[in-house]
Amino acid sequence: MFKIHFRYALVYWVACILLFSCESQPARQPETATLTVTDDLGRKVTIPRFPRRIMALAPSETEMIYAVADEKTIVGRTQNCNYPIQVKNKPVVNNYPMDYEKLVLLKPDLVFTVEGLTSAEEAARIQELHIPVYYQKFAKVEDIFRGLTDIGRLLHREDKAKTVVDSLRQALSQLQVRSEVGAEPQVLAVTWPDPIYVYGQNTIFTDKLQYIGAENAVKEILAQPYPALTREYILKLNPDVIIGGTFEKMDATFFKLYPELKQVKAYRNKKIFAATDDLMARPSPRVVSSIRELKKFIR
Amino acid sequence: MSRNLLYIFLSLLLVLLLVGVGLRIGSFTAGFSTVAEALFSYNPANQTHFAIVELRLPRLLLALIVGASLAFSGYLMQAMVNNALADPYILGTASGASLGASLSIAGFVATTWSGVYLPPFFALAGAFGVTTLVILLGYRQGQIIPAQLLLAGIAIGSLLTAMVSLFTFLSGSESAIRSIMFWSMGDFGRANWQVLPYPAVALFLALVLFLFLQKELNILLLGAERAGTLGVKVARTRWLILITVAVVTGFAVALAGSVGFVGLIIPHVTRSLLGLTHKLNLFLCALLGGGFLVACDILSRLLYPPAGLPIGIITSFFGVPFFVYLLLKKSYRFN
Repeated sequence: MFKIHFRYALVYWVACILLFSCESQPARQPETATLTVTDDLGRKVTIPRFPRRIMALAPSETEMIYAVADEKTIVGRTQNCNYPIQVKNKPVVNNYPMDYEKLVLLKPDLVFTVEGLTSAEEAARIQELHIPVYYQKFAKVEDIFRGLTDIGRLLHREDKAKTVVDSLRQALSQLQVRSEVGAEPQVLAVTWPDPIYVYGQNTIFTDKLQYIGAENAVKEILAQPYPALTREYILKLNPDVIIGGTFEKMDATFFKLYPELKQVKAYRNKKIFAATDDLMARPSPRVVSSIRELKKFIR
Repeated sequence: MSRNLLYIFLSLLLVLLLVGVGLRIGSFTAGFSTVAEALFSYNPANQTHFAIVELRLPRLLLALIVGASLAFSGYLMQAMVNNALADPYILGTASGASLGASLSIAGFVATTWSGVYLPPFFALAGAFGVTTLVILLGYRQGQIIPAQLLLAGIAIGSLLTAMVSLFTFLSGSESAIRSIMFWSMGDFGRANWQVLPYPAVALFLALVLFLFLQKELNILLLGAERAGTLGVKVARTRWLILITVAVVTGFAVALAGSVGFVGLIIPHVTRSLLGLTHKLNLFLCALLGGGFLVACDILSRLLYPPAGLPIGIITSFFGVPFFVYLLLKKSYRFN
């Protein structure tokens, strides 16, 4: 009786030792579930290797991810996201003030945003909730193409991103116009009447204009990207074109408030136009449409 | 006596000098000769002349008038409530103006009406409406009770500040937020010849009126009871002060936003120069207030070109250290 028991015990222990020794064999490492990348602000962000639930905290970024990502992986939008039209079916997360609870409820595993719309403090808070935040930054039209390529790489949709970028580049090259040096129309884009805020030199607006042979009338790099200007400064700039509203609307409001500015060339030649706000303000794949719209006004 | 007149003469000279310097500063380069040419042989086709006469001069004059109005109103309020901390804003005038303007800028009420830009009108309505409310709260049995008036002003002012913050928060546009901030801290960017007569006439009438009431003002500093026994009609004088301050400050803040500290600091500077009861105190106070804001406007545009910083930031940065110096100076006493 005892002998049998001993035999069983021996078999048991040998089996155990074999089992453990098998387990302790150096097995093939499975791929880690995350990887660390550097975003446009130079921040190190640990993101899932295969993001499956994504969203953006800025309307322009929502347009960016819609251009590249699989729509099924987009789990939400902000209250201001309105393009493409199907985005309206997605649940809303308020980004001002930031609705952290709703964000957690939607469980994105990666969120995209742009500098300026999500503060560093908000990003830190979101990361504490184990949701990585990836910032993109756009100073030039080319940055939008690079941004689309980056999103494609992060989401393993490089081919889709390449198709989008190639078609945008092609559309842009068809729009491109050159002016003789010194003959570039000077364009002033007004964003607010009192105080008068405009698109400054270091905005993407300046870069958009160079594709159609025009220039931002504001040449000086001022402290703010959207600086406040005096009436005198605008008189000195004497822009050829003003973007900010239809001639009739600007005549009845802006130029009624500042009749002195009726001296500028844009007013005298009635070269005053209303651009689509979202196209002007958002660095998104619709940048080519924005440049096309500006070309229609200026050329 | 002659020393006091010298102070007034020097202040006048300083203000003229500041306006002269201010007329040179802007986007178009202009030397003193161009400034003189623009003023005395104006050619509207010349853009530099146009900028000097149509843009720089009204802006500097608005700064001058607003500074003078606020300093003058501050002097009156300090005499009325017999308190060194009083300023023209304790009646809630500035908070009312900010509320009116921010409601309109943030789009909760109309921003334009048949092309007319409405925030200054809402600001004026807010200034007068709130001032009336605070005065009603400070009024009991036919008398204005200064302590009650002060408390009502502080309470209503806090409530309105909270409301302005709420509208700022609710307005989604970043530009609207910055616009409200400019209103809350003061800005002379809107100045033009059409609006200048209103605050100027109000200030002029008020100065003339109180040149005759200077004696009553000085006696009020002794306290209401003693002033009454000395023959001053305390209730009537207080009403005159309140109405004057409401009108003069109302026009100033409706056009330039609520510029801080001028109304608090300049009356003390005036008293430290001429003494507590000099008959030209009100005149010098207005002059210094105007000069101070002209200097602050020039400085703001030099520090942060082209549009300048909100003016209240400059008045605090340069006014408060000077005020502290004045407080520490042993020879100065309020009463």
